Amino acid sequence: MSELVQLGAPHDRPRPPRADELNLRFSEQGIHELEALKTHYPDLKSCILPGLWIAQREYGGFLDGAAIAEVAHRLNRSYAEVEGVATFYTMYNTAHKPGKHKLELCTCLSCHLCGSYRLRDYIKSKLGISHGETTEDGLFTMEEVECLDACDRAPLMQVGDQYYGPLDEAKLDALIDQLRNTEGSTVVKMADEIVQVHLRDVERHK
Amino acid sequence: MAAATQIETVTITVNDLELTVPKGELIVESVKRLGFEIPIFCYHPRMKPVGMCRMCIVEVGFKQPDGSVRKMPKPQAACTLPASEGMVVYTDTEAVHRDRKGVLEFLLVNHPLDCPICDRGGECPLQNNTLFYGPSTSRYVEIKRHLPKAYPLSKYVTLDLERCIQCGRCVRFTEEISGDSQLAFRFRGANMQPSTFGLMEFESKFSGNVIEICPVGALTSSKYRFRARPWDLQTRPAICTNCSNGCNVWMDYRVDKVVRINGRTNEAINEEWTCDRGKFGHDFYNSPDRLNVPLVRRGTALVETNWSEAYSDCIRAFTSSTNTAGLGGNANSNEDLFAWKKLFNEGFKSNELDYNWTKVAPIADPTHAKPSIASIEDAPSILVFGSSLADELPIVFLRVRKAWFKNGAKVIVAHDQATDADSFAELVLNYQPGTEATLAQALADAKAGKSVEAAAKLTGVPAEKIAAAAAHLTSSTAIITSHELLNRPGAHDALGALKGLGELRNYALNANDQGAAEIGIGTGTKRSAQILADARDGKLDALWLLGVDPFEVCEDHDLVQAALENVAFLVVQAHTKNGAFPYASVVLPMTAPAEADGTYTNADRHIQRFGAVLPAKGEAKPAWKAFSEISLRLKPGRPWFNADEVGRALGAEVAAFANHSFNQLPTEGLPLV
Repeated sequence: MSELVQLGAPHDRPRPPRADELNLRFSEQGIHELEALKTHYPDLKSCILPGLWIAQREYGGFLDGAAIAEVAHRLNRSYAEVEGVATFYTMYNTAHKPGKHKLELCTCLSCHLCGSYRLRDYIKSKLGISHGETTEDGLFTMEEVECLDACDRAPLMQVGDQYYGPLDEAKLDALIDQLRNTEGSTVVKMADEIVQVHLRDVERHK
Repeated sequence: MAAATQIETVTITVNDLELTVPKGELIVESVKRLGFEIPIFCYHPRMKPVGMCRMCIVEVGFKQPDGSVRKMPKPQAACTLPASEGMVVYTDTEAVHRDRKGVLEFLLVNHPLDCPICDRGGECPLQNNTLFYGPSTSRYVEIKRHLPKAYPLSKYVTLDLERCIQCGRCVRFTEEISGDSQLAFRFRGANMQPSTFGLMEFESKFSGNVIEICPVGALTSSKYRFRARPWDLQTRPAICTNCSNGCNVWMDYRVDKVVRINGRTNEAINEEWTCDRGKFGHDFYNSPDRLNVPLVRRGTALVETNWSEAYSDCIRAFTSSTNTAGLGGNANSNEDLFAWKKLFNEGFKSNELDYNWTKVAPIADPTHAKPSIASIEDAPSILVFGSSLADELPIVFLRVRKAWFKNGAKVIVAHDQATDADSFAELVLNYQPGTEATLAQALADAKAGKSVEAAAKLTGVPAEKIAAAAAHLTSSTAIITSHELLNRPGAHDALGALKGLGELRNYALNANDQGAAEIGIGTGTKRSAQILADARDGKLDALWLLGVDPFEVCEDHDLVQAALENVAFLVVQAHTKNGAFPYASVVLPMTAPAEADGTYTNADRHIQRFGAVLPAKGEAKPAWKAFSEISLRLKPGRPWFNADEVGRALGAEVAAFANHSFNQLPTEGLPLV
């Protein structure tokens, strides 16, 4: 009786991967950095956040299940615990794969008053994306975010590790053109910047 | 235990009553000493407090020099508040009641209130606390959060996310108690949900416990889901007979059918936990293959008969020859085993009974030293040798983990495969299969300061590791092995070597194997494999199978089949049709453990009573009753009328069981003398 009202049969749950089934993708540099970071903390649990930043860089800006499993495996924590940490923080991209560049538009009070919703609508008409969406070519993801703590430059947008503001339509056009011509992904670049911040100078990969 | 004077105490005031408690005791525990109740959701006495639900808030103040009380401006969570000198706690003020109402209204904002169809309805802490402390209405008129319902996390546990109040008990259970950390909170705020990694299979061996500790109906049992309402169920105390640990459980039944099993607290055995094998492994009680009437073979067919005809057949076969034998297995009560032995010894003039199916016999220990399961907790170091504890004795595994988690015991695991205990072990000695005896001897040698290079080469464990492990071993080290070790080569040598290294425990694996050994089953000249071999070679005239399916317990199926085919007369006494059933000459239906009064001896020689929960199926009888009635036909006398009488007769004959009969035992059981 009870089986009838369950979503899906209880016996076909996929099981979490075993250690030997993982497809580990960290580069030499990533492994080196993680080993260095492990020495910064009293236990491996504390190393989950920087570990996830390395993974976000190594996995092209998106923490999918495989990335989380790899971090958990390398830090000897449970998969569920690391996933719980990763999904708690919005700066880790766990829900869906972001585009090459993430346009994070501040919509808090100062920016709002200075027209950030107008810019939001402009992005929608120009790129066809609104909050949480990615362009079809995979270049841009647009997100409305809470206060970026730079009201003097309202309306403000964060792309990667850079703030752009005050913005208007013309400056936005120029920024988007500039990003189109940018070689690498600013999402990955920002993850790398954050990893480098965590490391001591001698530990950085030259 | 430390003397009471050594414990630092503080005096606090609870609702104007003075109370002296140990310093640092949590207020939520202290108020219980006076009989006050603080409503809780997330707090659990066996886990670390987190203060997540805010249900336990109390008003707290401190006595001022002028005698007045200065209250803190905000209420405090009693579950995270340690008692300190002069603390004044109020659990029953208007402000506290108002705050509790607020907390409950808030918790209920996103709760679906589908109580009419919820499994937890009627035994739900959220319902109870709302009834006693909550507001009668809600101001929330907006649309509630909706989330997947009935999400099967595993074949045992179904998750209903809407009902979750995010207390984190389940998450903490997997982190602190079972140690597999399979559950964690994903996302945050109102979207926070306890789940497995990627919503994949919840693989814990103790997953059933989260269903019980969930204070709402968010984690429900897949097997029990929508089967019954709690108030329609009858509940009686029972003992789990799925392994030798003898866990205390509540058996919930309805119209003579077992519906579910819940953990029952017994600090000496299982605290309050159950393993999945025990919690979900009681389907056999409701099996359609249960045996209801005696059967005898007439021609080629088994035909239904009455007890006296079945007895006559048995008596004819077993008295016409003394070349007979009996094989037992698991979950026979002490009474059954004693009556069985008595019938064989006195009625059938045979002592060829065995219950044990390991390759070599367990070592009989004349001192009866079996340190208790609870004492593992206090051991400074623990050596788990050749046993995958989480699979073989799951609740002992929890004790070992608790010793490490709570008391910082150093755990050393020696096994030829990876085991669950590796995750918290100080040292893992991964040896080559079959080198148990060598490794045990090497540990002893290393302890004595001898070189272990040769053994290191043989076992594949580095010599430094062996030396490091030996350094942890002291006379108070708990050395845990199980009867599984007896299937490995050189088991007796290994046990002999380990014996000198600490408090050696060699736990039996089947329910009441320990009892069978104490009663003297298995003292014949032949072991179970030899009895089967004799049967195969036609050297045995009659064989009695007491509640055992040899196909299940004996790896050599060809031997079992040949033995059952070739033995002249085979009695199958069982509660359910088993593999031996088709070969039977006589089938005697037996009550299952929950259907008759009986006592069971667990692996650490703790004897517990298991009163009948359900009525016997059809004409099935407790095995001891059948033996008693056969004895009566052989030699007139006064039969036993109940399990207590059998127990008293057992106590008179086997000293260890003196004063341990069914009626003499307290609810929580007693260690054997």
